[in-house]
Amino acid sequence: MMGDDAVGPIVIDRLAGRLEETVVLVESVGDATHLLDTWRDARLTVVVDAVVSGGVPGSVHRIEGKAGLPPSWRSASTHLIGVVEAIELGGAVDMLPDELVVYGIEIDKVAAGVVLSPEIDAAADEVVESVAAELAVVRSP
Amino acid sequence: MTNAREISVEYLARVEGEGSMRVKVVDDKIEDVEFSIFEPPRFFEAFMRGRPHTEAPDITARICGICPVAYQMSSVHAMEDAFGLTVGGSLRELRRLLYCGEWIESHALHIYLLHAPDFLGYESGIHMAADHREVVEQGLRLKKAGNAIVGLVGGREIHPINVRVGGFYRTPTKRELESLVPELEWARDAAAETIRLVGGFTFPDADQDFEFVSLSHPDEYPFNEGRIVSSKGLDLPISEFNEFFVEQHVERSNALHSQIRERGAYHVGPLARYALNFDKLTPFAQEMAQEVGLGPVETNPFKSIVVRAVEVLYAVEEALRIIDSYEAPPEPYVEYTAFESEGHGATEAPRGLLYHRYRIHHDGRIADAQIVPPTAQNQLTIESDLRFVLEQHLDLPDDELSWVLEQSIRNYDPCISCATHFLDLTVERG
Repeated sequence: MMGDDAVGPIVIDRLAGRLEETVVLVESVGDATHLLDTWRDARLTVVVDAVVSGGVPGSVHRIEGKAGLPPSWRSASTHLIGVVEAIELGGAVDMLPDELVVYGIEIDKVAAGVVLSPEIDAAADEVVESVAAELAVVRSP
Repeated sequence: MTNAREISVEYLARVEGEGSMRVKVVDDKIEDVEFSIFEPPRFFEAFMRGRPHTEAPDITARICGICPVAYQMSSVHAMEDAFGLTVGGSLRELRRLLYCGEWIESHALHIYLLHAPDFLGYESGIHMAADHREVVEQGLRLKKAGNAIVGLVGGREIHPINVRVGGFYRTPTKRELESLVPELEWARDAAAETIRLVGGFTFPDADQDFEFVSLSHPDEYPFNEGRIVSSKGLDLPISEFNEFFVEQHVERSNALHSQIRERGAYHVGPLARYALNFDKLTPFAQEMAQEVGLGPVETNPFKSIVVRAVEVLYAVEEALRIIDSYEAPPEPYVEYTAFESEGHGATEAPRGLLYHRYRIHHDGRIADAQIVPPTAQNQLTIESDLRFVLEQHLDLPDDELSWVLEQSIRNYDPCISCATHFLDLTVERG
């Protein structure tokens, strides 16, 4: 429904069935306080979200998230309280996972629609492969 | 020499749209006040044409990440109205329970993370958490108690998927519902503490002569059913919404402005529900409201935070009552046959009355849809409220004036309210 802004849930869909049983896939749209409850007890959390920070649409950013995200990502969120704020709030109330990686997929603009632009579609596939590789090396303790 | 002040606030897209605020004052005289939003539901209305009517609950739930239940409920009630279907007993109770969950989570988010920082002098809930960690933690836990209800009854916490025309795809067992009770018992105490906390805030004088509009039901505080009533005499069935209310294009705005025909602005949401249904609150909720000095009618929008807290307590108590008396229904939904028809539904979203109308083809596909969300209905009132607050505070410097104006927008908990916490303000002086 949100056009290219839906790239996060689409990555989740494409990852389904590809990961170990210890990995939980969660879609979190519109309410990032939900993220705090989802990730607070996790060993590693990978977040995938659309960003509008002025980069080339389809480019992919990977950031170690516990140190915070670039300020330019703040206004990109269409969520009620975005990932940037969730990380800041989680830091303030000690509700962050042990390790947090954030993938930001650069989109051009937020517009209603039901399909991804070709460059965003390709970026989604790239992130799917990266996340699958990243999580494949993590084993349950 | 002319002294012109212009304060404009622009913010980016949120789930419910873009919004902006602009006020212009020349020689201490208000020249212009604009509060504008753009409503994505227009897209959804068009998108649904030709789709099976059974998809409406799941499609409209996508309009808003924080109040999907409201969209699901208004859509299923509209469809059931179209097909002459009555959903009663435990299924009706489960719908109220699901709505309790949404009110708790939506109100807790707004009270603790979006609105309380205004009163305590913080830029945001994140900044507030540094000094008031235990308060924020209480808010998050209260919100989670609401999320848990939505997760169990709605199938998942975000964009629930268990609601269908006629009932649910699957109904929970009594034992499943009882698993919610210990946390809801904690939430009852936390909700009472919340009322005491926000009831102790300082509120600017801002009482106004609003026309409050909400559902009213003879036996219960309204969620899903009732007549549409107002504080100035309206009393109509939901099916007559369009005869009394009208959405009008305003030249300078992309959004439709709702008005009462030939009368003008009206006010939906917690203050309206509370004023029109105070006697239907639980005795404890009434008692707590009175303890913090609320009367049975409150006309100061800044006190909406207290009324929201009272509604959280009501929703927690109502959830406990429903779980206690619940018996799993024999079937998860009522069977029906679709035919060419038209139906209307209105329910009480956390932010106020949410009206849906659908015309259905003979084969069950949607011919056309109309969705009137509460934020659109409040738009004119928010604008007149901004003008009122501006008149009261013209002597403030620009930064303080911006703060109080933004706060007065947040009184209405529009879905853009979080954005107004992260504004880039432009102040121009002549």
